[in-house]
Amino acid sequence: MAETRQVRQQKKKKGAKEAEDIPQVLATDKKKKLKQLDSFIENVLEQAGEEFLEEFKQIEGQ
Amino acid sequence: MSIPKVVGIEQEYAISVKGADDLSAFHASCMLVNAYAQKVGIREPGMGVLWDYAHETPFQDIRGELFGRKTARDVTGREDNLLINAILPNGARLYTDHAHPEYSTPECLSATEAVACDKAGELILNEAVRLAEKILPQTTIKLFKNNIDHQGQSYGCHENYLMDANAHEACLVLNPGRAQKTLIPFLVTRQVFAGSGKPGAQFEISQRAGFMECLFGLDTMFHRPLINTRQEHHADPKRFRRLHLILGDATMSDFSTFLKIGTTQIVLQMLEDDYIASDFSLRDGLSALKQISARYDCPIEMAEGRKTNAIELQRRFLDLARIYCQSRDIPRVPDADLILQSWSDVLDGLETLTLSRDCDLEDDPGDLRRKLDWVLKLWLFTRYRRKKNLSWNHPQLKVLDLQYHNIDREESIFYSLRDQGLTEAIASEAEVAAFVDEAPPSTRAWFRSRCMQKFAREIYLVNWEVVGFDHGDIHRMVPLLNPLKGTRERFEEIFDKAADSRELLALIEKMGPQPGPR
Repeated sequence: MAETRQVRQQKKKKGAKEAEDIPQVLATDKKKKLKQLDSFIENVLEQAGEEFLEEFKQIEGQ
Repeated sequence: MSIPKVVGIEQEYAISVKGADDLSAFHASCMLVNAYAQKVGIREPGMGVLWDYAHETPFQDIRGELFGRKTARDVTGREDNLLINAILPNGARLYTDHAHPEYSTPECLSATEAVACDKAGELILNEAVRLAEKILPQTTIKLFKNNIDHQGQSYGCHENYLMDANAHEACLVLNPGRAQKTLIPFLVTRQVFAGSGKPGAQFEISQRAGFMECLFGLDTMFHRPLINTRQEHHADPKRFRRLHLILGDATMSDFSTFLKIGTTQIVLQMLEDDYIASDFSLRDGLSALKQISARYDCPIEMAEGRKTNAIELQRRFLDLARIYCQSRDIPRVPDADLILQSWSDVLDGLETLTLSRDCDLEDDPGDLRRKLDWVLKLWLFTRYRRKKNLSWNHPQLKVLDLQYHNIDREESIFYSLRDQGLTEAIASEAEVAAFVDEAPPSTRAWFRSRCMQKFAREIYLVNWEVVGFDHGDIHRMVPLLNPLKGTRERFEEIFDKAADSRELLALIEKMGPQPGPR
């Protein structure tokens, strides 16, 4: 059965909205990853502070 | 005439030990070596494969006796030899070098193999740490694949390339001017993609540039040269030479490692074929090295007075490489297409990269942070220092810099970035894991590896160029003087047949000489 004009218009609007949503989804995903990274970094600095730097001295290598 | 650029990477790891005040870095490192050696079955009672130091001549210089040193080589006794060294069943060498655990990859034919073997070294060392910490549960050992401790000390990531003896002699011994016109400018400028970056008084793109002090030299711990002139070829010196480079940065990014190795392979082949007619000599290569490290796109002066920059110079090499790699009469550089495309993409990306006057990353349209260590670090540090208003010299940035290179995948900033999808890999996890246990199939590493896997009990010493079997009243030495021979294709069937090393040697004798040149 042929689609009515109304159904076609509704599908078109839905597709456009989904296309608009994609960058938003990506942006949200990116934000989430960056937040996770920031949390990781903070944890690293908490675990290995500036004393870690002082204790890190190495023997001269080649 | 050029020959395939068999390549190996030697990585000295930084080591941090906590929880055992009387455990020195040297002994911790030896513990790692032996814990792993035990795991792979080469420390069973009655076994003791020694590293053969007889072929090491660190004080002999390719330029002649005047440049070398008449110093007696320390003799390493059997116990110390076993304490320090392990020749692994994958053909690699794991050992303690000046208190650093060092992993020397087996010989690789391609840049992608070198990437995977280098990463396999990280897995091996992670496993070694896990085993050592089981032995001493109160101890925490951390390893870092980098070049500086931010306190003035440096340690290396060395590269070794197989070269034709005549070409090596022509370019580096008889007429080093040829190297100054071609190889040195290439090496000075390749840090724009091979540098791993560091914070400090300012951000620099290379960790090692500041530690290099001369163009040619024998030393590796002071007066560090761009080209090491050690006469230690680990192969038949009548046909082959080893080019030993100590200026490279340790790279975490697969891409940085791939480009560092792959582009150097191509340039060396071009050098061997006398393909580079242009003179790219720099007025002062060492100064240019440091200038570029401080600012990747700074102007540098050619010997004839013209100004250029590292990106432009690298593009000249790329243009030559593109035409060269299309020639039919040369040994094909493995992965050449990928190397050339990646090289081009990176140079394009560098031209659109924008940094502020304070060296913050402003724009990266080429998405180089997904590929290059120094750009990824710059992105991360820019983000963090703007958030916390930190100077480039702030200790927190140095902590982040070190932790970027932590090889513990739970703690490493690099691996956290990779897990977040912010950087790309070239070698798959499966490819890397395979090289933990196996050698690349197309070099002599495969032969050495198979000997260690099957006949370790009968081996009394090994080096890059020899496997020595103990047959009771006689020692039988199998020379591996050609890094391109001893391959799986040629010898797999024989190893499968041989029940012991005597049978192996008898079967090899029956085979006769390998067909083809060399």
